[in-house]
Amino acid sequence: MRCDNRPAAALVSLLLIASFVHALENPVLVYKKKYIMGTVFEIAAYDHSPEHASKAIEKAFQEIVRIDDLFSNYKPDSALSNLNRSAHFHTEKVPPDLYRVIEQSMQFSRLSDGKFDISVAPLVDLWKAALRGEGTPTPARQEEVRGCVGYEKIELTPPDQISFRSPCLQLDLGAIGKGYAVDRAAEVLRSLGIRDALINAGGSTILAMGSPPNQTAWLVHLRDPSNKIDPQVMLKDESVSTSEQTAASLLGNDSAGHIIDPGTGMALKTIFAVSAVSKTATVSDGLSTTLLLLGPTKGTELIKNTADVSAIWISQNAQVETAIGGPEVRFGKGR
Amino acid sequence: MKVSNRILVWVFILVATPAWSDVFLHWTSAALPPAKELGLNEVVFSWNESLSSQVTAARRLGYRVYVEVPLHRASSAAETGATGLEGIILIASQSETEELENSLPKLRLDYPNLRFLVLNPDGKLPQMRGSLIIKRGSVLEVSSPTSQPWIDTNLALVRIERRSHPGQVPLYTFSWGGLSDSGRQTLAPTAEDYLLAVAEAGAFHADLILELDQRLQKALSEHDPEAWKLWNEVRPYARFSSHVDEQGLEAIANVAVVVDLLDTSDEPMNLLARHNIPFKVLKPADLKSANLEGFDIVVVFAKPDRETCERIAEVATHGKTVVLVDAHGTYPWQKGNSVRLNEHAVSYALGNGKVLELSKPVVDPETFAQDIRRLLGTQSVLINLWNGLTTIAVPYSEHGGTVKVLEFVNYAEEPLRVQVQVKGSFASIRYETPEHECCESLVPVKHNGFTEFVIPELRITGRVRLEANATPASGVSPR
Repeated sequence: MRCDNRPAAALVSLLLIASFVHALENPVLVYKKKYIMGTVFEIAAYDHSPEHASKAIEKAFQEIVRIDDLFSNYKPDSALSNLNRSAHFHTEKVPPDLYRVIEQSMQFSRLSDGKFDISVAPLVDLWKAALRGEGTPTPARQEEVRGCVGYEKIELTPPDQISFRSPCLQLDLGAIGKGYAVDRAAEVLRSLGIRDALINAGGSTILAMGSPPNQTAWLVHLRDPSNKIDPQVMLKDESVSTSEQTAASLLGNDSAGHIIDPGTGMALKTIFAVSAVSKTATVSDGLSTTLLLLGPTKGTELIKNTADVSAIWISQNAQVETAIGGPEVRFGKGR
Repeated sequence: MKVSNRILVWVFILVATPAWSDVFLHWTSAALPPAKELGLNEVVFSWNESLSSQVTAARRLGYRVYVEVPLHRASSAAETGATGLEGIILIASQSETEELENSLPKLRLDYPNLRFLVLNPDGKLPQMRGSLIIKRGSVLEVSSPTSQPWIDTNLALVRIERRSHPGQVPLYTFSWGGLSDSGRQTLAPTAEDYLLAVAEAGAFHADLILELDQRLQKALSEHDPEAWKLWNEVRPYARFSSHVDEQGLEAIANVAVVVDLLDTSDEPMNLLARHNIPFKVLKPADLKSANLEGFDIVVVFAKPDRETCERIAEVATHGKTVVLVDAHGTYPWQKGNSVRLNEHAVSYALGNGKVLELSKPVVDPETFAQDIRRLLGTQSVLINLWNGLTTIAVPYSEHGGTVKVLEFVNYAEEPLRVQVQVKGSFASIRYETPEHECCESLVPVKHNGFTEFVIPELRITGRVRLEANATPASGVSPR
């Protein structure tokens, strides 16, 4: 028996056209995560083709891996590790990404009168050891290590050469490297035609590209150590980063922490967590650490003199300070 | 529990010879492929009255068949299914704990040919979690700014189950419900999801009831090549986890955690596990009889009675550190020298040791776990990992001796180079994985009572065998 397949074929064609039109009208959200730089990077992207979005996200992750291979001070063969080994009183040629991020870091150092300082690595290591239980370093040891710190000892020679005017200077890009990697990942997504995406580097730096369908911006809830305020920002082509000192020990009296104040050589003591919003993730990442170190009073002054940035400081007892030069911060409760 | 019941439990423990880790397949579809093809021998069906033909068919296909029943249906299931069943898996709610303890010995006595296993159905979907939360309307939120990867692991559950049901290998299951792409649609588990689930149970020497996605069950029974490609990845992991040559190994712990309630959702214990602090769960009654010699720290969450206080004082006097959480009472050690550590913590010196009183519950389990690690000090830490933020390592020994085996699980599911420092002096380090079975020889570096080595590539799971003497087995390739 022969049968006429034309109606069925027409129906299939119609269904295919309908699903194509549906896809055009309703972009699909694709989400992926990957462990890089000691944290979980997540990318959520909207696109009409989930396959294309998926490939674009993978390319973006590859770019973050590439940056990690340059910036890691854990990997002995990274460009940064090589610089830390070889640049003492000796000029080293470095990859453009490394030069660029060190150059930007030094701008933050100058803006903050040295509070933000990527040369603080030896002090970070000293206090990390204390956090591991190796005891509080002696004042003499602290003084010795402080002598190794100082951004003004980093010498940049454009376009790509760096030397250290110190025998023991070491750089650590932990306060800005993830932000730079996020910006690079966003560039990759844009170059592949992705317009609406959210890139999250472990929760501490988030960059919003475009907006979700039928929304004006991405809603991001910020860190609230008081759990009473629920601060939120709507981000569109903007980034937010959060910095907070390591929580105080429950069973000890040590003063260790992962954020070191280069001025004192000790772990920063602050009651605040701070979130900074800006146009790029490199700036928000570097700015959040800077603003935590400066505190609300000096930090607000810095915000006033910087275009398109906002910041919010929140303490455990719900004390709030804001400095708005960019996106508004709104509150979900309690205010 | 009555004395006679207790004796029965111990008789059961002594005569039972459970395998180290078995994967039980929970099958819900009509057609079931043969056991030989799936590479698993244990199958679990949900109980119903007309199950006998299904049991018979599964037995013919080479399976040992178990049924899963609520506690109150256990007797009737045993009665009607006794002929063909290998065992009965009991599900009991928290409120049925006492009833379970009373009825289990009797069930084992009445039906000696059946295995009775207690299931903890509240396992977590093992995963490395991100911090994005995707809500309806496709708005994305960020839950918290911790940049440390968050791991959902079942290690604490396994440790608690080991104390709750000492007569069996811990048995748990979990639901795949947490897998979703955009909050709108639940995803089918990937091969990696299954591998991680099987690897985790294996590394923790626990039994797992593995829920198989309905679509996968159907595709396997219809000989779909893609489904079998996935399953053929799972098979070596199940084989690797079966630990047939590891009888007699037990998990090492140098921290004891004393609790009134055996609650698998206990966050401080989850964070201790997450920070690779090997701990053993005890009830207050255990403190009186247990040998605490091997523990460096005893963390007491339980409300101590007079006898417990005496034991705490005795343990501290002999050089241990005791941490008493949410302490509000008057205790015998408070007569000694004290140092206020902070607003909520006081340290009392006692003999060669000390008692630390924390006057509030643990509100920040992450910081608490780091504090316990710090209290152990560099010399008492059993294991340290570098580049291991997504990795859990579990040390095992023979009869409480030095470490013999280290089991690793990497929740990032991508190859990692992990540096390991383990307490003890070892000359031979052999590394095996499901992908490359025994063995690759790793180079040990001895330093200050510890041995350091590098695992070149840990994808999802791996096992390290340590020997004090350098006697590499045949087939070992040096690296």
